[in-house]
Amino acid sequence: MSKNVKISLVMVLAAAAALLVAANVAGDDSPTASTGDERSDRLVRPDSQRLSEASDGKVTFVEFLDFECEACGAAYPAIEELRDQYGDEITFVVRHFPLHGNSEEAAKAAEAAAEQGKFEEMYDLLFQNQAQWSHSEESKKDVFFDYAEQLGLDMDEFRTTYDDPATLEKIRRDKEDGQAVGVTGTPTFFLNGDKVEVSSFAELLAQIDDALAS
Amino acid sequence: MRSRADRAEAQVGSPSPEPARIEAAGTLHGASRRVAWLLVVGGLVGFAAAVTLLIEKIALLEDPTYVPSCSINPILSCGSVMSTEQAEVFGFPNPIIGVAGFAIVTTVGVALVAGARLQRWFWWGLQAGTTFGVVFIHWLMFQSLYRIDALCPYCMVVWAVTIPLFWYTTLHNATAEHLRVTPRMRPIVARAAAYHGVVITGWFLVIAALITQRFWDYWSTLLT
Repeated sequence: MSKNVKISLVMVLAAAAALLVAANVAGDDSPTASTGDERSDRLVRPDSQRLSEASDGKVTFVEFLDFECEACGAAYPAIEELRDQYGDEITFVVRHFPLHGNSEEAAKAAEAAAEQGKFEEMYDLLFQNQAQWSHSEESKKDVFFDYAEQLGLDMDEFRTTYDDPATLEKIRRDKEDGQAVGVTGTPTFFLNGDKVEVSSFAELLAQIDDALAS
Repeated sequence: MRSRADRAEAQVGSPSPEPARIEAAGTLHGASRRVAWLLVVGGLVGFAAAVTLLIEKIALLEDPTYVPSCSINPILSCGSVMSTEQAEVFGFPNPIIGVAGFAIVTTVGVALVAGARLQRWFWWGLQAGTTFGVVFIHWLMFQSLYRIDALCPYCMVVWAVTIPLFWYTTLHNATAEHLRVTPRMRPIVARAAAYHGVVITGWFLVIAALITQRFWDYWSTLLT
């Protein structure tokens, strides 16, 4: 075996060893996916944003989303369709899982709008106009303030909530909750506490129907 | 026991001391045969990936709700990568560059395997093409990892073939002196040629490490 091959092999082995060590270290302190009550507490908090509230409380659908993520934007019409179809039969909960440059700012705008009862309206605007503000290095705060104005919000109040450190803290806590329940990317959906793993919209509908029927 | 320099010399000039993997290469020898076959195989693999990406892109344009075959989860997702503006840097879908470029690379490889002798300036063309390719895919890598936050498996196939295509084309051009090599550069070229595998392994490992680090949260969920 030539030295060339030998050194290459040693490098690969060293990298594999480093990976194993890193995985073990991370395994020890990674948030454990808790089960039972604690888990469901972290999935939906009392102050989490809701797009609708089921009267019977039987089916809860949680989405961890990032307003800037394209996959979330792509899922948005499907979620709208879902909400059209099921309306008030299902509780739709939105949790923040910001991953991009302007994600936290967008989430702050949604939270600040929620303070004035316009969460859903801001949620719609953010997703419908995602292409216009996403993937930018600079802050899109002005754009979000424009949306707030369009919605006729009290701008002083909006600004106060937007800049309140507690708002950001809430968003970050959403993300921590997500990581604790096993969210690694967006969008991630939970149906009555279970992570939704479907390959098609029809399959999702079937699962929801099952949950409603049971 | 030959000295290291001898061995380096052996790999640069005369037939490689390692048993040839492919016997059918006719008049080609050692490093030249290696680069010829690499162009064929790398070109074909890259071509297949680029064609797949282009087909997926067309499907996505026809139907925006189409989920590409490689959109497995939020991290491994062609769909989110393909719909970005970075996917059309020059105003048209990037895979068009790949389809054309890899077809050329394959053809050049086949010509070499068939025993073609190419002029220096032709090698310069190949050098320019693979250099453009390698710079471009590193930019795309950066975009994918740090801006789009998703990986597209077919794109990664393109990354994986473009690097060796560039590296071995460069190495061949340097050792065959298609490129001007100053006397001072000669030992460096010889060293690089002797340890060509170390360079490519290191290169891949750095990228693998960056990918691992960037999406650590995701990978760690696969372990538990």
